Amino acid sequence: MTGTPSARSAAPLNALPWNSGISLAAGETVLASCRFDLDGKLRFTDGWIVLTDRRLIADEPASADGIGATGPRSWPLDADAHIDVRLRAAVGRIELSRQGRVVARWLFTPARAKGVHALEDAFDARSALLRDRETAGRPARGGRKPEPAPTAEESQPAASGRGDDDFPPPAAGAASWRALMRVISFARPHAGMAILGGVLSLASTTAALVPPYLTMPLVDQVLIPKQNGVAVPFSQVWWYLGGLTFAAVAAWLLSWAQTWTLAWVSERIAAGLRTRTYAHMQSLSLDFFQSKRTGDLMSRVGSDTDKINIFLSVNLIEFASNVMLLVLTAAVLVWLNPTLALLTLVPFPFVVWLVYAVRERLRRGFSRASVAWGDMTSVLADTIPGIRVVKAFAQESREIDRFVAANDRVLDANDRVNVIWSFCGPLFALFSEVGLLVVWAAGAWLVFGGAVTVGGLTAFLAYIARFYGRVESMIRMVPATQRAAASAQRIFEILDCRPTVAEAARPVRPERIAGRIEVMNVHFRYGAREVLHGVNLTIEPGEMIGLVGTSGSGKSTLANLICRFYDPSSGSIRVDGVDLRDMAIADYRRNLGCVLQEPFLFFGTIAENIAYGRPDAPRERIVEAARAAGAHDFILSQPLAYDTRVGERGGSLSGGERQRLSIARALLVDPRILVLDEATSAVDVETEAIIQAAIDRLVVGRTTIAIAHRLSTLRRANRLVVLDAGRIVEIGTHDELLSADGAYARLYRAQLKATEEAAAASA
Amino acid sequence: MTHDTSSTRATRGEAPAGWVLERHAHGRLVFVAADGARHDDVDVLRAFPVSAAQGPVAIVGADGGELAWIDALASVAAPLRTILEQELAEREFLPVIERIEAIADSEPAEWTVSTDRGPHRFKVAHADDVVRQPDGAVFITDTDGMRYLVPRFDALDAESRRLLDSVE
Repeated sequence: MTGTPSARSAAPLNALPWNSGISLAAGETVLASCRFDLDGKLRFTDGWIVLTDRRLIADEPASADGIGATGPRSWPLDADAHIDVRLRAAVGRIELSRQGRVVARWLFTPARAKGVHALEDAFDARSALLRDRETAGRPARGGRKPEPAPTAEESQPAASGRGDDDFPPPAAGAASWRALMRVISFARPHAGMAILGGVLSLASTTAALVPPYLTMPLVDQVLIPKQNGVAVPFSQVWWYLGGLTFAAVAAWLLSWAQTWTLAWVSERIAAGLRTRTYAHMQSLSLDFFQSKRTGDLMSRVGSDTDKINIFLSVNLIEFASNVMLLVLTAAVLVWLNPTLALLTLVPFPFVVWLVYAVRERLRRGFSRASVAWGDMTSVLADTIPGIRVVKAFAQESREIDRFVAANDRVLDANDRVNVIWSFCGPLFALFSEVGLLVVWAAGAWLVFGGAVTVGGLTAFLAYIARFYGRVESMIRMVPATQRAAASAQRIFEILDCRPTVAEAARPVRPERIAGRIEVMNVHFRYGAREVLHGVNLTIEPGEMIGLVGTSGSGKSTLANLICRFYDPSSGSIRVDGVDLRDMAIADYRRNLGCVLQEPFLFFGTIAENIAYGRPDAPRERIVEAARAAGAHDFILSQPLAYDTRVGERGGSLSGGERQRLSIARALLVDPRILVLDEATSAVDVETEAIIQAAIDRLVVGRTTIAIAHRLSTLRRANRLVVLDAGRIVEIGTHDELLSADGAYARLYRAQLKATEEAAAASA
Repeated sequence: MTHDTSSTRATRGEAPAGWVLERHAHGRLVFVAADGARHDDVDVLRAFPVSAAQGPVAIVGADGGELAWIDALASVAAPLRTILEQELAEREFLPVIERIEAIADSEPAEWTVSTDRGPHRFKVAHADDVVRQPDGAVFITDTDGMRYLVPRFDALDAESRRLLDSVE
């Protein structure tokens, strides 16, 4: 934090860094210095400790022998002097001891730790030198405690499903309007405010139409008669000016209220959409997430709802007031002069045709842009969790290229739509110029013929300017509408997905199940590929089953089916005699505990992570679960014990520690059925032994399905079930299967041989 | 300001469970288990320092192993309780921020504050390091891992509240 001078033996200082009132002896050199920042009462202070080649000079310590003297003091040092530095939680201690007795102590916060350790290093170097010089052969003393090294950080790439985006194909054509109308339906809870917004729109639009109407009599009855020599009192001008001012202020206030009201409603529609989309995603089955890219889903929930919000709050208001203004202006125009009004509308068919021509093209363009945006987010969602792999393989530049490529696609998609709509704006400006020209010509002719007054023509032209202004801004609306329509479609694609694992119409709601599982002639297909071909298995309550087989034999699929992450393609799984499909999913899962190969910790405290399945669990239960999982001691060593934050950013726990937390999580819910999917395969043998002990406590009295690659970890299983290519080939205990000399015996021997070879190689 | 606390501090406390905690010179703690085993330089810590600051307390050996567990300090009698409380007070050094003077717009942001321990300056890396508790307390963790407490957000002055809001 501050420029703390550290030990610099190459260039020894010969002055103290602060005015201590103590002067150095001739030839005395400063070896190191550091600052401490807490006094004996733990108040912030600022003090120095300086190490010279013969003594320690320091400001008032927190405690010291022979107290009474205040201010800086010095302690002579000999080979027996020793410095001990400890940093626990927020307060560090420096202890100076001589002949094994602590004589002084200073306190510091972690901010000063670096300087303190530098001083300690210099002190130790000096002691070593002194010992050598004395050649007294004193044994080296206790020495400093090594600083606690940060444990290996096991980053967890978040599961990001990859695969084809198989959303239902977007319907073309009028679909964009249908999607937008569906968005509007989200306004229903706020109907009152929405209607108020509409009424305010109408009122403010009407108020905006008043000023041109007032200019007509101002010109015809005041200004022109005055010019022609008629005596008109000036007070009449004040009248009209007052009216104009009042109309302007009213229009301003009304449009303020209208903008705020509609923004309020649209903000709530967008928030409702986000929540609905996210809640719906949570209800979808696992296979949905496995086929989607995380970034794409994130961009749908985040950026697409935001685009809809902008459309509703900004563009829709504009659109509504534009339509109203157009209708009202057209009515006024016709009322003022039908002939001129008809002429005004000459360019209008062209405008309609233009809008129609570009609309569909724009929607497709914006849809492409949204997809490109989702792809770009996916690159981020992919690489940030996997940053360790990226760095380990020095692939930073490749990842940058990947991002640049995705970003270029966004750029390209945006460029294409920009070409279309930038062409439309100026084209329409041309139309309106032509329209004005026509009205000027016809208007002049009518004034000459006496059919229209100058004031009437002035008002008419003022209305026309407004009319075209509105039409122009409606044209600008087209891209905004299409952008929102494309976004709305992407949202509804999620909302229209149905969970493949569906809740039964009248589900059985189990309280506490016994845990008897019957797998009856179960087949399961991933797409066209059948991975389980008729599996039959009955597991008794409290029994531990080990699932054994090569990878791809269907072990994990069977476990997933028992967790009801999927439903079997045919056949059924019964728990306590009830088909899983008839059971309430949430109630069933409350009886289920899972420990997976990759323990996932959420951003939150250790206690919150353990209590994930039972957020209301009392602290005693959390501690109890952590103790049983062998996690209690390492949790206490964390800076804030159970309140230490872990997960995405603060993940300083090792793989084995994370796994023990996930075991504690499973223990806390006290499940009747336990699924262990390769729970120990990601850790070393020593950690495995600790975890295995925790698992042994976990499985007691519960129906357990354990999948393990290392067969030794299944030693407590009552029965081993050997799967091969989606079929059960053997069932029995370890000994039975060995003597049967079948698939299990082959697997076992192969593993034994590999272990022996590894042992021989290391010996 | 410096005062020798050893004379005023309790030096030995025995728990009903039979173990003893002794305070030696300059604050070192020695734990003597019921079976007589001695553990030098032990640590006293709270298991839930944030969510249950008055909750369970653990005594941990220098190797990190748990030696004793106390469900609540309130159930412990003096002098053991005094030793534990003194030790926890030092370990849980948690300056209380009374006023936020400034938060510099740097990366990481540098905070200048007044605390009950005097004025102080520290750096905060990320908005996540400012955590609001449901009861209105705010915990701030600096880049060195030091923590600071604002006991009640509402009790701060307007300018401090504005500054604190600006980082969240």
